[in-house]
Amino acid sequence: MVFLFNRTGRRQPSDLVRFIKDLLLKLHESPDAAKIAEDLGKQLSQLRLLVQGTQDVEPKREDLHMVIQAAIHEDLIYELARGIIHLPFQAKKDTQTIFSQILRFKLDSQDDAQPLVITYIAHHRPEIIIELCRGYSFSDCTLQCGTILRDALKFDIIAAIILYDQSAEGQPAVRVTDIDMAVPQDGNGIFWEFFDWIDTGSFAVSADVFATFRNILLNNKAVMTTYVETNFDLFFHRFNRSLVMSNSYVTKRQSTKLLGEILLDRAYYRVMIRYVARWDNLKLCMNLLKDDQKMIQYEGFHVFKVFVANPNKSVEVQRLLINNRDRLLRFLPPFLDDRTDDDQFNDEKSFLVRQIQLLPNEPVEPSTGA
Amino acid sequence: MADDMATHYQMMEELGSGSFGVVYKAIEKATGEIVAVKHIDLESSEDDIQEIQQEISVLATCASPFVTQYKASFLRGHKLWIVMEYLGGGSCLDLLKPGVFNEAHVAIICQQLLQGLDYLHSEGKIHRDVKAANVLLSHTGKVKLADFGVAAQLINIKSQRNTFVGTPFWMAPEVIQQAGYDYKADIWSLGIAAIEMINGEPPHASIHPMKVLFLIPKEPAPRLEGRQYSSALRDFIAQCLTKDPDRRPSARELLKHKFIRSAGKTEALQELVQRKQEWDACKGITQNIKYYAESLNTITKPDDDDGWVFDTVKAPTMIAPQGADDILPDPDTQYLDRASEMIDDLHISEPPIPPKHAPNSTVRRTPTVDRSPSARRPSTKRRSSGFKQPLGLDMSFGNSPSTVRQFRRMSDKATTDSGYASQYQLSTDENMSPQPLLNEPSNKEAQLGRRAYNRGVGLACQEVLGTTADQEKREAISRLAEAWSDLEMVDPEGLYHIVKSMNEKFQNDPKLSGLVPQQPPQPETPQKPRLVLAQNNPHLKSHRRRQSALVPESSPKDVQLSNLPGQHVPGMEHTKQLSDVLYQRWSDGLRNRWAGL
Repeated sequence: MVFLFNRTGRRQPSDLVRFIKDLLLKLHESPDAAKIAEDLGKQLSQLRLLVQGTQDVEPKREDLHMVIQAAIHEDLIYELARGIIHLPFQAKKDTQTIFSQILRFKLDSQDDAQPLVITYIAHHRPEIIIELCRGYSFSDCTLQCGTILRDALKFDIIAAIILYDQSAEGQPAVRVTDIDMAVPQDGNGIFWEFFDWIDTGSFAVSADVFATFRNILLNNKAVMTTYVETNFDLFFHRFNRSLVMSNSYVTKRQSTKLLGEILLDRAYYRVMIRYVARWDNLKLCMNLLKDDQKMIQYEGFHVFKVFVANPNKSVEVQRLLINNRDRLLRFLPPFLDDRTDDDQFNDEKSFLVRQIQLLPNEPVEPSTGA
Repeated sequence: MADDMATHYQMMEELGSGSFGVVYKAIEKATGEIVAVKHIDLESSEDDIQEIQQEISVLATCASPFVTQYKASFLRGHKLWIVMEYLGGGSCLDLLKPGVFNEAHVAIICQQLLQGLDYLHSEGKIHRDVKAANVLLSHTGKVKLADFGVAAQLINIKSQRNTFVGTPFWMAPEVIQQAGYDYKADIWSLGIAAIEMINGEPPHASIHPMKVLFLIPKEPAPRLEGRQYSSALRDFIAQCLTKDPDRRPSARELLKHKFIRSAGKTEALQELVQRKQEWDACKGITQNIKYYAESLNTITKPDDDDGWVFDTVKAPTMIAPQGADDILPDPDTQYLDRASEMIDDLHISEPPIPPKHAPNSTVRRTPTVDRSPSARRPSTKRRSSGFKQPLGLDMSFGNSPSTVRQFRRMSDKATTDSGYASQYQLSTDENMSPQPLLNEPSNKEAQLGRRAYNRGVGLACQEVLGTTADQEKREAISRLAEAWSDLEMVDPEGLYHIVKSMNEKFQNDPKLSGLVPQQPPQPETPQKPRLVLAQNNPHLKSHRRRQSALVPESSPKDVQLSNLPGQHVPGMEHTKQLSDVLYQRWSDGLRNRWAGL
């Protein structure tokens, strides 16, 4: 009842945080309690105003800091991540805003260090990240969970949690200090569920998960390249099967494009060398060239070119190309020839034609040191 | 799963089509509710699936009675279906066709819009493209903000953007100057939209959009002049059009404005909807109702899975059997197949029922001639600012929502539309997708002609227009510009030949030969075409050599040229510079949006 009396006055951030936490716990026990959800909505919108301000009022730094301290003390951040699915529409958005504000907060002294809450999550409460990932199983809160995750993924340490966590629901998540990057994954961790979510989700879910997935691959290279190298077979098995061969046009197109980006990325050099040495990968992307959809053919081309341009082609790749030499030489010149404005594409295409013409009649061992 | 979703809706007639795709009316089978379904062909958009997703996520996180309600989105093959609330009254731009609105109507619409904007702004969203075309009315007169094609989500409510998007006439000065802007930019656009509704067109409507970009920051803010308007309305517009965004009031503040407080109930707007229906009826407008026809390319590709030989890896000596070539479909025939499929499609999407008189159907697609009688100038005027200027952006005021998108996201329908397209080719039908115009005759001369227009003639007309003050002369110049633009659309090849022979004739005349730079012999483009070549391309090197060899020769010519009209007028160089800078920013903005451009 205390908060009723304080309506007129200003409530302490710590009271608000504790109150919200209690409501969240109640909601967790009875998720269908509309009254609690409604109450929670009101309180969360207050908390949002406190940390975000309004168009006319700047938020106070001290308030934000107090909210964070209280939220850490009360374990509110975890409860929010776990409870977001049960919140009403507006409260989900408020929660997302609250997250994005507190995730960015830095103490004055730690200008170039990690924000306070990121450090806290990484070392004390990695379960927060895992709960947010699990939000992808529910299409109701995909957008909010995805936005929060991508905010947090600005820091590699968060990516490491997603990559190496293999905890079951209810178990404590992986501790950053326990991660051994040399140990291969068994493919049951939270990261591997991304493949299923992308492939089977509705457009909105799938597109959002994919955005996060892409983000991890391209923006958290420091941890990701090692991860892909250590789990090469598993990773590309899933990538090829669930994504590149997906029945969904968008998944297929986006993942083929992403594949092309990875292979041409300097950081993924060793991955590229291994990928383009495999004849089954070449087979996959030759099939993409003959896809029904032109944009997929086009993205497939940008993967195919890496195989052909590779100066040290493996014997199996050479053999596949040689066996299809005549077909390729007939196929490529008119391939996507309506792209008259795309000079780079046309240059690359004629380069590939030349390379295929120059192939020997029999595969030769690639030069040593490849 | 996605396919199941599509069966939940009974598709009905087409409501409109634009660069973004085609919008259909549909019935949600489970509820019987009428909805609008937008089909976006992803295959025709180069690389903005992520942007589309962005748009959807902005939409999906809006829940306000003043904003068109998003319902669902799903994939069907390579088409994305977005299901939205259906608003039967049409857009304010459509409703303006029978004539301008009175102040009472404008007050109601502005009051509703302000509530919509207040909602968006408190959510940290900026609409960025507020204009009459993006305001939809329901049959009952409810007013809703629509089209979030360029909307932005700010992470921080106080943060700023500096991307360059919107539609020039409605753009706030700070957006154009890219000094960083926030939600106040929408308030400016609202002010312009208010003028549009009371006047029939936004300020500067007769001026080329590129030129407008330069005028808005430079000139004093537009004002509504004239005794016929109440002082409350004039003050409201003046408040919205405060050039300094910091001093411009917020949506919430404007809701307290006298003009807004006097606003009546939205039911009064039904008059506008009725007026439009009657107007359509009087005009004897025969709607070309087009019904939805499944045009998905569901035909599975001919079985050429054996097109590649994959089975030989373990048997290296095996050589493809002689007959294997027959199995591989000849690429040519493959393409022929595709062409014939397209022809089939064409038949399918022909309206199954002949055009009929249908005043009740929604009126977004308007037939050719009768355009905004409220516009004071002949309707062709609009076209001048329309179809083709340098970037080929469709600037007609229309229902073309995400101004910037139009370059890439084309309605795939449009390709099969040629029957209509030719009929509309020269009209100013804003609902028309620009696609038919891009149905390029792909021969080289046509391309050069198009290029000559885009890079030379069009720009030249603009430049001269930009330095001409006299109204009569301006009219004449803009008529000429239109004529060129028409020619470019209809017969780029002819345009090429005209430019070419003009240049040759100049060259042969001793007095005029100074007009034409003798070198390089590229008469097709008065401006040098920008070559995009791979860095290692041998042609590039020789090209550079040629260019560098040219430099000393061409400079004296430049001096000569500067004496001619249409070139830099002494004292006016800054305008040229500025418009160059703006043009640069514009194209940079585009490049950011599509790395491919």
